[in-house]
Amino acid sequence: MANWIFHSSKLITNCIKSTSIASNAVTVGLLSPQALSLQSTRNTSFYMKRPAAQLWKSVTSVSNAGKRRGRAKGLARTRDLNQGQKIGHGKVGMLFPGLNAPIVQGEFTVRQRRLTEQEQQSSAPKIQPLIKPKRFKIHPLRRGWSGGQPGGRTIGPPDPVDGDTFDGFESWILYAKPISVMTSTMGRSKRVRSMVITGNRKGLAGFATVTGREFKPSLNLAKNRAGLRLMYIERYNDHTVLHDFFSQFGKTKVFVQQKQKGYGLKCHRVIRTCCEAIGIKDLHAKVEGSTNILTIVKAFFAGLLRQKTFEEMANEKKLHLVEMRKENNYFPTVVASPPVARTSKEIPRNEILDFKQYVMNGKVALEKKRRDSPFSKLPSWQFHLRKQERLRNQDDVVIRLRAEYGDVCSFHAEKYPEARAPKWSKHGKKKEEEAVET
Amino acid sequence: MSARIEVRSVRLARTMYRRMNFLLKDVYRRPTWNCRLCSTAPRTTDERDPGSFFFDQHVQKLLKTLTRIDYEKIFATRRDETPLKIPQFKFMTDEELAKAREEIGKKANRRLQMPPVVKIRPKEPKVLVKEPELQGCERSSLVFTDISFGKSNRNRIIVVREINGTLRHANSNERHRMNQIYFPITGREMHTPQMFCNPYLKDLLDQGEFEFVLDRACLQFEPDDPEYHRITKEVYSYVNKLRKFDALRSTRHFGPLAFQLAWENNIDTLLLELIESENIEEAGQLVRLYHKLQPDAKSGQVEIENDLQLVKVYVQLDSSDRHMLSGVILKYEKMYKEKQRMERGIMKAHGLIDDQNEISKT
Repeated sequence: MANWIFHSSKLITNCIKSTSIASNAVTVGLLSPQALSLQSTRNTSFYMKRPAAQLWKSVTSVSNAGKRRGRAKGLARTRDLNQGQKIGHGKVGMLFPGLNAPIVQGEFTVRQRRLTEQEQQSSAPKIQPLIKPKRFKIHPLRRGWSGGQPGGRTIGPPDPVDGDTFDGFESWILYAKPISVMTSTMGRSKRVRSMVITGNRKGLAGFATVTGREFKPSLNLAKNRAGLRLMYIERYNDHTVLHDFFSQFGKTKVFVQQKQKGYGLKCHRVIRTCCEAIGIKDLHAKVEGSTNILTIVKAFFAGLLRQKTFEEMANEKKLHLVEMRKENNYFPTVVASPPVARTSKEIPRNEILDFKQYVMNGKVALEKKRRDSPFSKLPSWQFHLRKQERLRNQDDVVIRLRAEYGDVCSFHAEKYPEARAPKWSKHGKKKEEEAVET
Repeated sequence: MSARIEVRSVRLARTMYRRMNFLLKDVYRRPTWNCRLCSTAPRTTDERDPGSFFFDQHVQKLLKTLTRIDYEKIFATRRDETPLKIPQFKFMTDEELAKAREEIGKKANRRLQMPPVVKIRPKEPKVLVKEPELQGCERSSLVFTDISFGKSNRNRIIVVREINGTLRHANSNERHRMNQIYFPITGREMHTPQMFCNPYLKDLLDQGEFEFVLDRACLQFEPDDPEYHRITKEVYSYVNKLRKFDALRSTRHFGPLAFQLAWENNIDTLLLELIESENIEEAGQLVRLYHKLQPDAKSGQVEIENDLQLVKVYVQLDSSDRHMLSGVILKYEKMYKEKQRMERGIMKAHGLIDDQNEISKT
């Protein structure tokens, strides 16, 4: 109760205060003598005592010890608070002699008054409005692999060399990260290491790593260097690798499988970016061991370059290499033939003739057995399956009914109009109601 | 709004199309028709039965050569919603390759087995017995189907006892329904699909889906069904009118198409296309087929070996579009002579023929 009384009394006093100030300023001239209403005001405060520079410093600086602990992050910055405004000019146009107008004009003294709208417009000073710097927004498809990290972002084609432009090329950042080197004489020196891959999506691609002082120049340098180290990589029908292969660099092992059209790239994001640069559209790859980006790229490229072309394989085996596709009813298409093919008598018994084994050099990749989901044996899951079984053909039935009767309904629907599935969509419901009315 | 409905119906038609293709893919694996002949013998004598002509070995051979075997088209990838697979690679010796090719040739032959062209079956079913004393016993007619093992859909006994006491064989519609109930064929439907009715059929033909329509007609109907005849005739006449023979070439439907055209005395368009594409041998085969099917033709009375001569005689005596065809033949002859001259010139330039030789030849 007491609290409420206190609040209300303060409200009333505030109200009186503001009305009196307004009336003082507007109705009565400031220069004219008047009866002062008694008010207790404090005109000094911490902010009045100190100069602006000191005040700003107190907000924007951190002690050296604090800086080391990372306290300087996210601090306010010094800002000109007077920017965008001028003394004597405000929202309400007023003429203050001596402040924004001369005191004496000819023989008359100028009196304080409100400006008319026309006067206000003509006398308003030209002040540049505050421009807030716009945040540069990147299209979601060009934001890279994850978050604000640069990995996966594109940075355009390499710069032309001696007038030769890189038409149709595009470069991808594989990584760009700060590193620091500690030396006894220079102390800790900060550097930036970046790796870029560039390619024309038609089989030509190259990559380079660069260590530099700054991010942008080092990325540019890496991009241009990658453009100078292009390799041509053979593809199968311009969409996948020539055959399955295994490749290793350091501790990184890569198992790559050829895939059919429409399969997509199911692999590590680094390999996916490499494939994009090369122009491989369908592939499955599994990275085992170390997932260092540099070694993954090197292992993948080494494997790609070590691929055998069909002619090489046919010549090595001295047999015809025949391609058969299920969708074409296993029609035998000869992809490559040797000058002279061996006969079946000339083939030794223990020779590997299976294409997959031959390509993997007789090795077989160990594949983990797929485990059933942990819930697959639970009675509740079995119950769910049993319940769902009656819906297994629903989609087909709906399509068939629509084709046959034009609606989801029973064959009795002509005789019994209620033998029709209810309409759930708004549009369908409305139509149904209209039909009933007519 | 109507536009939206149209779009929806188009989308629906497309899904149906892909789904049907999925079903149709099995059709190619089994032989087209297990039993080829009509179950009922033709009664009327005034209309000839195309079946006996169609199954003649010589005619079959002619039809097969007219079909042309293009493996790429026969084994082309079909859009039937089956996911693609990774291609298989194999190392093969010469013999293995030859064997694989031979086998694929057999497969192609099986794929190109033509659906038979037979006479439309009679509509009136055979009445077995009339027993008026049984009338009024039942409210609806009863159908008895023999579902014992070893009977085919064609020779299965299906009889109907009607309300008025008549016992008769089931008519074609009833047979279709009973067979589909007890021995369903995947992809065959109880009711005639909408795509065979006209706004849709015309749309499909305008889109050029001839093979799809014919494949599904083969699946849905028996070859002696009047509906089957209506649909095939419509498709053939459309193809003939727009000269889109290439769409059906190297499919199992080209033989029946050529047969139908020759049967209806309407081979001029096809002949024109064959001569224009310089397949004079096939043109000769077509005329021979025509003579087989139309024994009364004037040009068929004399036996001529030379293909070009044969075509010429046909054009002069029997063709309805004589003017056009003779013009095309003249053009072809000119081209042929020009080509021969050019070849001889090339041979001479390479030094393969001497001038003297040429003189002695000419």
